Amino acid sequence: MRQKGLTLEFETAEDTVFALAAADGSCFAACSAGLFRSTDAGASWQRLRPSSEVVTTAVAVSPTFASDRSVFAAVKGGILRSSDGGDTWYTSGFPAPPPLFSCLAVSPDFERDGVLLAGTLEDGVFSSADRGLRWQPWNFGLFDLSVLCLALSPEWRRDETVYAGTETGLYRSDNGGRAWRFTGFPTEFAPVLSLALAVDSTSGKTLLFAGGEAHGLQASCDQGASWQGLTLDSAVNQLHVQPAADGGFALYALVNEGVVRSADGGKSWAVAQPTEAVPTAMLLLDDALLLGVHGRGIMRLPFG
Amino acid sequence: MSEEKEFLSRKTYQPGVVFQPDAQRNIGRGIDKLVAAIRPTLGPTPRTVAVTRLDDARKTPDVLDSGGTIARKVIEMGARDEDIGAMLARALICRQHETMGDGSATAAVLLQAIYRGGIHYLAAGGNAMRLRHHLERALARALAGLDEMTAPVAGKGKLAQVAEAICHDRPLAELLGEIFDIIGSYGQLDIRKDHSRALRREYIEGMFWDSGLVSREMIADQKELQTVYEEPAIVIADFQINDPRHIMPMLELAVDHKIEKLLLIAGEVSGDAIAGLTMANGKLKNFQVMAVRSPGMNPDDRQAAIADLAVLTGGQPLLSVAGDSLKDITPANIGRARRAWASTHNFGIIGGKGDPRQLRRHVSNLQTQYQRSDDKPHRDGLQARIGKLMGGSATLWIGGLSETEIDRRKELAESTADAMRAAVKDGVLPGGGMALAHCRQRLAPRRANGADPDERAAYRILHDALMEPARAIYENAGYEAGEVFARLAHAADQRSFDVVSGEIVDGQQLLDSAATQKSALRNAVLTAGMALTIDVLVHHKAPEIARSPG
Repeated sequence: MRQKGLTLEFETAEDTVFALAAADGSCFAACSAGLFRSTDAGASWQRLRPSSEVVTTAVAVSPTFASDRSVFAAVKGGILRSSDGGDTWYTSGFPAPPPLFSCLAVSPDFERDGVLLAGTLEDGVFSSADRGLRWQPWNFGLFDLSVLCLALSPEWRRDETVYAGTETGLYRSDNGGRAWRFTGFPTEFAPVLSLALAVDSTSGKTLLFAGGEAHGLQASCDQGASWQGLTLDSAVNQLHVQPAADGGFALYALVNEGVVRSADGGKSWAVAQPTEAVPTAMLLLDDALLLGVHGRGIMRLPFG
Repeated sequence: MSEEKEFLSRKTYQPGVVFQPDAQRNIGRGIDKLVAAIRPTLGPTPRTVAVTRLDDARKTPDVLDSGGTIARKVIEMGARDEDIGAMLARALICRQHETMGDGSATAAVLLQAIYRGGIHYLAAGGNAMRLRHHLERALARALAGLDEMTAPVAGKGKLAQVAEAICHDRPLAELLGEIFDIIGSYGQLDIRKDHSRALRREYIEGMFWDSGLVSREMIADQKELQTVYEEPAIVIADFQINDPRHIMPMLELAVDHKIEKLLLIAGEVSGDAIAGLTMANGKLKNFQVMAVRSPGMNPDDRQAAIADLAVLTGGQPLLSVAGDSLKDITPANIGRARRAWASTHNFGIIGGKGDPRQLRRHVSNLQTQYQRSDDKPHRDGLQARIGKLMGGSATLWIGGLSETEIDRRKELAESTADAMRAAVKDGVLPGGGMALAHCRQRLAPRRANGADPDERAAYRILHDALMEPARAIYENAGYEAGEVFARLAHAADQRSFDVVSGEIVDGQQLLDSAATQKSALRNAVLTAGMALTIDVLVHHKAPEIARSPG
């Protein structure tokens, strides 16, 4: 029997959703079964042709998707790019051995700088400054080349700061990902599975949240120099910052038991959406929550 | 030797003992003469100094604008008493140039001002030893003032600004700003001559060593003259492999563990062993091996390189001191990487699969050793090792219209790069000589209220001397220094005068390397203090070389 809310159902129990992305009414899902697109806010899905059933490990859309229709997806050994919302795709190749991508990040100032960053499991970080056409490895100072997540500063245009969560800790780059420095992240809390950045409306400081596997969530308000543990002890697979009307923000964390929410910067948490199976990706839409669930597919749940 | 020269030489090199007041006065003359040759080079609008060639005075002279280079070319002043002063100044300037790459003219100007102030005070009856003691105390206060003003520097724009203040070459400064923004203070930067007319830079992924394949037969790509392996296994040994039978256990292990590509790094590989390896390349299915010599010019370097390679790749090295041989090889001796390449001159590793935590600790240990070491060759060696382990390197190619221009610009790029490393490590100060001028505030109280005349004099001498670098910069640019100081006195705090635009600007717009300024001040005060305590000069007979015909 089809599970309630399941809008994309996997054929095998091994399939999983790696990443979800959305903009201007289009949603994209990077899955082990290929790349999928929904044009009705996740109510129905179509597999996109270029990746067919090729494992697609990451997907990201341009912040100006409404005008440039740019979307990017990572497959083994290459990055796909589309400038028409996913109808036609072009591939950018990488030197052998083929990198296995773990995440993609698009510059908040993409319209002007055309910068994209891609994290890989064995080759560190690749960067493109021409909208995904050519890619270069930039790993100066990145001692751990197993990159699990990337997060760009909300003030990227001014500070070009980006964080890379790895198997053994957290690295920061202050020059758009060209050179990296190890932060003061406690190594015993590694690996860093998820990252999020938010601006604290009262202090004006940028808050950095890092989700780990064993020790839950850590927060830093000094660019990763010092850290404080937050009251969330589950493995945090994904983080999402949702701006609030009062200038503050709500923090959503994808944990093994579902989605939890904090309205006070991570001091206290409430279950926003429990799940029976292990969720692997989440995406918050205006009135719905899309959840990628391992072995099942993508669920669309009312939310808001 | 002409009669006149012979006479001068004898006169100049009379053995003897020189007492006060001649000793101090003549040392001062020597310092004055050398510093007068260096002072015009201070600042962003340096004047040049023409120095005759040592090999042939009839050749076109060298036209120089670097204090360190000029000082290096000054061998003697003529009069022996003056030589002592000039050589003290020369040693200071050369040391500053060699250790920091910049700040030699600042150090020279400070030395002259402190020494002049000092001998005036001593002539009036001051105590040289007490003056020196108080000068060193005043130095500590001035350095503390500079520490307070020091700010970190980051971003290619700011770094380019610092570079430009050092080399006064905008295109070069912009490239060095970008390079240091990426490689940081420890990164590997090779500065090489190019055949083009322009400057260019290149970033190289991974790390490479100056050691190549043991045999040309191992070159797989004859077009690129190199061999590239994907996902290679790596065996590191520090000993010589002579007997081809010794490689058999390694080959068996490779076959057992389904290794398809193997890089062997060994002290040396004999012709017979090379033949064995190349035979394995032909005979074993799905298996390729290449061997390179372990890098390093001496046993210490080789040992260090092997330790770095082991941490980088995660393979335990086979060491002769531990009695290891290839017969004892186990899976623990196998390191891994994403890629490895080798040519006849170099080999490189990209994406070493050693433990990242161990690699970080290893680099951190090397950085600590670097910070604790005072020995320049040792520091340079550590710097190179850390740079390699950072995961990439940069090459700056220096082109130009002529060989002379390329050489000059390459030397300038090298000294600027040294100063840039110091700036990235230790931060920056307001430029244009103003950081030194601002730290006079730390000396003012003791200058007025010191416990005794020697103390007050020491603080006054250093207080006044700290204005001299700024004065020299203004005068070299054609400004009346007194006028500029008057304009600055009416400007807000922490302002500087930009001699290029002729405007009073925010001090943060003109930047100098903090380490360079501190080192120049420290070296100048210590040298001046030491020179002020010289009471007697003793001259030996003229050295034979001075009498020889020429």
